[in-house]
Amino acid sequence: MKDYVIEIDSLTKTYQTGKTDFKALNTVTLKIKKGDFVAIMGPSGSGKSTLMNIIGCLDRPTSGTVIIDGENISTVSDNELAEIRGRKIGFIFQKFNLVSTMTALKNIALPMVFLGGTRADRDQRAAELLGKVGLTNWATHLPSELSGGQQQRIAIARALSNNPSIILADEPTGNLDTKTGEQIMKLLVALNKEGKTILLVTHAIALKRFTNRVVNMLDGKISEKK
Amino acid sequence: MITDIFVMALAAMKSYKVRTFLTLIGVIIGVASVIMVTTAGGSVSSFVAEQFNVFNPTGMVIGTGTGGDTPQLSMRSVVFTTNDVEKIQNLPSIKAVAPVGIVPLNKILKRDGFLKWESRPGETMYASTPDLLTIFNLDLEEGTMFEEGKNEVIISKNVAEIFGQDKPLQVGDTIYLRRVDGKTLTAKVVGILKESKTTTMLGAMGNPGIICPIKPYYSTYFGSNAGTILKRVVAYTVLLAEATDTKHVQDAQNQILKYLDSGGSDASKYKDQSLDFVVITQQYILVRIEQVVNVIRVYITAIALISLLIGAIGIANIMFATVTERTREIGTMMAIGAKRRDILQLFLYQSMIIGLLGGLLGCITGASGSWFVVDLLNRSIQNLGGAIATGTINVIYAPEWFLIASIVGILIGVAAGVLPARKAAKMDPVEALRYE
Ligand SMILES: Nc1ncnc2c1ncn2[C@@H]1O[C@H](COP(=O)(O)OP(=O)(O)O)[C@@H](O)[C@H]1O
Ligand SMILES: [Mg+2]
Repeated sequence: MKDYVIEIDSLTKTYQTGKTDFKALNTVTLKIKKGDFVAIMGPSGSGKSTLMNIIGCLDRPTSGTVIIDGENISTVSDNELAEIRGRKIGFIFQKFNLVSTMTALKNIALPMVFLGGTRADRDQRAAELLGKVGLTNWATHLPSELSGGQQQRIAIARALSNNPSIILADEPTGNLDTKTGEQIMKLLVALNKEGKTILLVTHAIALKRFTNRVVNMLDGKISEKK
Repeated sequence: MITDIFVMALAAMKSYKVRTFLTLIGVIIGVASVIMVTTAGGSVSSFVAEQFNVFNPTGMVIGTGTGGDTPQLSMRSVVFTTNDVEKIQNLPSIKAVAPVGIVPLNKILKRDGFLKWESRPGETMYASTPDLLTIFNLDLEEGTMFEEGKNEVIISKNVAEIFGQDKPLQVGDTIYLRRVDGKTLTAKVVGILKESKTTTMLGAMGNPGIICPIKPYYSTYFGSNAGTILKRVVAYTVLLAEATDTKHVQDAQNQILKYLDSGGSDASKYKDQSLDFVVITQQYILVRIEQVVNVIRVYITAIALISLLIGAIGIANIMFATVTERTREIGTMMAIGAKRRDILQLFLYQSMIIGLLGGLLGCITGASGSWFVVDLLNRSIQNLGGAIATGTINVIYAPEWFLIASIVGILIGVAAGVLPARKAAKMDPVEALRYE
């Protein structure tokens, strides 16, 4: 019962498509322990991203409760949601999503900007993280000057900058070749060893081996087989 | 935090240099126009004030020409008699009147022992009374005023150097004046005029190079005659007059015109039917200058407003494009903790910076453009229907307007950026992240 970092109960997300309602998530109940590395798998359109977005406080449930690190996100304001997002969640996207006009270092520091603090502190932490993902020499490069794998490493460093407890990675290797994808996965495994709770959406069955729990999704519902 | 987002905005704009510059153009033109209007306005105001100091503000010139709203003097007919001068002198609002007769000269000559100097033709001499100087605030630099009936003249600095700068005419020199009728008259230079900032209304008749008494120079000249062959009368082309004070300039003008038009005046008998009596006051000239300025001011203000509006639309347009283009980045920033307020600020800063840059560049452009506008004004003044002030307007900058213009630039940037920035801030992060 204790040490659940994510507690989801009867979560439903309904989209209005034309006249009919479409349930992208249908009464999903899911609890994730602190330090878990969870793979979320399922066919395209089964609701994986929708679930990730709600856990990541980017979206709100239509009904049901979602408690992230003790906070019920159904009842908070937009601003508080942004705050929770900034502090507790680190996002890693399939398309890396670095800010194109900012250097690698500034991209890593960006989440800290929205939480405040001095520039010197931020740049120092960003430099540390840059080292952690092995790209110290690339600090002043723009995203367009980096390879896909390098961009994803920067994105991981960025996800870590506010020291969040949860990392949400929605198909992080989807745009990378197998070898680079494996390197990224190893990085995530290392983070998980450091205590981060990681949710990974993936199509690649081969990546299951890196995780310690698999959640299957189909038509907005969860079917879990351990 | 606020400054961090400002720095981010700046960094983002560096990657859109060409786009940013193109957007600036409207604001630059608008702000430059504001600077030009205010600079031109201020320059003219101080010019007018200066003119009031130099002019005798009660002065006026009476002549013939075309009347109406923009009266013009023609210097062709000789109609005002000594009788008219006396009658006008006695009008209630008139303090002094001086007749002016024109004596065109063929040459000015000077003998120096065996040497003889001759000027080129074309100098014009004005015959008048000593009142002329007081009516128009002309001062003598040295010497004295001539005496009526004596062979004495006063000359301008220009004429003093007519034989060359190295051998200037001096007070006490004797010169010979050859009139266009061939007659040569001796003249002693008794005074030299101080250089005036404005040559006042005498400028309307050409610069007064030589001023002489009516007798003997004018009364003996065939061009001074009005009337018939049987009954010749000495008459003058223009009269210079002075009102009792600045409040009575209009009254004086009305009284003069009433007298002249009444039919009781000699001038009305000698005047050509096609000509009107014209009284041009010093005040009128200044009013005309201000009118010209106001017309220009209205035009430039219109240009300024239109440009600023176009500038604002341009900024809004470019900001909408930028916001749309950066939709996924906006979603990303929201995902990593940006609040709606942060996004709003980020884009507002960008449009504000564009506005500020436009303001600053506009100030620079406007400062240089002011030279052009003032030059234009100086040309317009010279073309002011016959009544001419020959001073020039100097460019005088009003620093506070540079500040105001920069602030206007910022405000326009912010105003134009509000809608695009709100669009960005209101985005749904999930939708924004899915944007291709
Ligand atoms: N904003 C939306 N409006 C309508 N339908 C949506 C919206 N977002 C997602 N969906 C639908 O919800 C379903 C689940 O989508 P998603 O969570 O992205 O699936 P997955 O990530 O598993 O491929 C899909 O059928 C998708 O079309
Ligand atoms: Mg998906």
